[in-house]
Amino acid sequence: MIWWMWVLALFFMTLGIGIVAPIAGVGGGVLFTPLTMAFYPFSTDFIRGAGLVMAMTSALSSAPHFAKKGLANLRILAPVVVVSIIFSILGGIIGLWVTNAFPQGKSYIKIGLGCILFVVFLVYLFSKRVEFPQITHIDPISEKLDIHGAWYEPSLGKVVEYRTTNLLIALPAFAGVGFIAGMFGLGAGWANVPVLNLVMGAPLKVATSTSMMIITINDAAACWVYMARGAMLALIIVPSVLGITIGARIGARIAVKSRPKSIKYLVMVIMLFAAVMDIWKGLHGLGMAPPI
Amino acid sequence: MQELEVKPETVESVGAELREVPIEPMNYVFGRIMEILTIVGLIAMFIPGIIYVITGKGFLSREIVVKYWGLKASAFWQKVMGIKVFGYSWFLNHLGTMDCLSILGVCILAVTPLICLIGAEIKADSKYKILIGILIIEFLFAIARPILMGH
Repeated sequence: MIWWMWVLALFFMTLGIGIVAPIAGVGGGVLFTPLTMAFYPFSTDFIRGAGLVMAMTSALSSAPHFAKKGLANLRILAPVVVVSIIFSILGGIIGLWVTNAFPQGKSYIKIGLGCILFVVFLVYLFSKRVEFPQITHIDPISEKLDIHGAWYEPSLGKVVEYRTTNLLIALPAFAGVGFIAGMFGLGAGWANVPVLNLVMGAPLKVATSTSMMIITINDAAACWVYMARGAMLALIIVPSVLGITIGARIGARIAVKSRPKSIKYLVMVIMLFAAVMDIWKGLHGLGMAPPI
Repeated sequence: MQELEVKPETVESVGAELREVPIEPMNYVFGRIMEILTIVGLIAMFIPGIIYVITGKGFLSREIVVKYWGLKASAFWQKVMGIKVFGYSWFLNHLGTMDCLSILGVCILAVTPLICLIGAEIKADSKYKILIGILIIEFLFAIARPILMGH
């Protein structure tokens, strides 16, 4: 395949991801990184670098809107990101160390990412979302930090006030999420939202919006690790980010009008397929499976 | 684990008539700075980046990149430029080229949350001044780590 065909293919793939991701309610990075690893000739280092830039850019574009509406809240973000940012940097360092220190490092990364994708698939399949969780007790640290917020909910015609809880239980989860984001070049909204919503008790809209804000910080911090190692190529990053930026605008407009379930199922099948491909390719790299 | 009772149908709400919610200054400042810097960063990344992809003229020639983009990052730089990359000089020293300018755009995007945090800290109350201050230090460490640690 001629080089510009790869670049065009990358652009159209990310354009497609950008369109379907908001309709299916998934992040772009969780599709981009595994699909690119499975089907493109680029090194896993450059793919993860591009994946981080893509997830960060998508989050940077939407988070300001939510922050100015009172949905994304620094009161929730600050205590959890104090922990997750360290693990995000650590994930980036270890992720690059694995591929560069071991001859078959990229195979380990592919297998690891495939396994993570299975978890993501299960999270999407089984985790319930609660629009407005009711909190009966607030933990002492959340109380001390006075974690609270309010926003006007047009569907209810009311101002909704909320508080969050279980901060100490959520912290290890955010540490793990940060590590995975840095190591595999993912946004990891799929993990942030359930923790914020189901463990901390943040309303779903607040959880989704604050997750965007968390991604901007975690992924930006990990980006510096990849940049310092030269794991960023303009030839891969530019078409990818351009594609998803245009696609997301189209997808967001479609999502407002209709969100057919079939698209969500299609995306989940693609995710599962990418997971199988990544694991297979990883095992092939280790000499444990035949070529595809 | 603290008890977290879930009642999806019930909503605790106040001020039913109010549509305007006072947004906390630290959240507003964070969002406003992010809005501006993201546009700046995207423009700084896309314009030189598109020129580079189309013309192929840059610090790294397009043909060379394509030839070795399957190598891990360390091997790629060793093969293409004969250097070991650790730090930011690989693009900061070549800002006259379109691909490195595009990476500078990525830098602007990646430093945006830090500047937002600095702006938010000014507006935060005392508890959050400390927490955001820690975040700023951690972020600065992420940026300065290659320079400080040298490996």
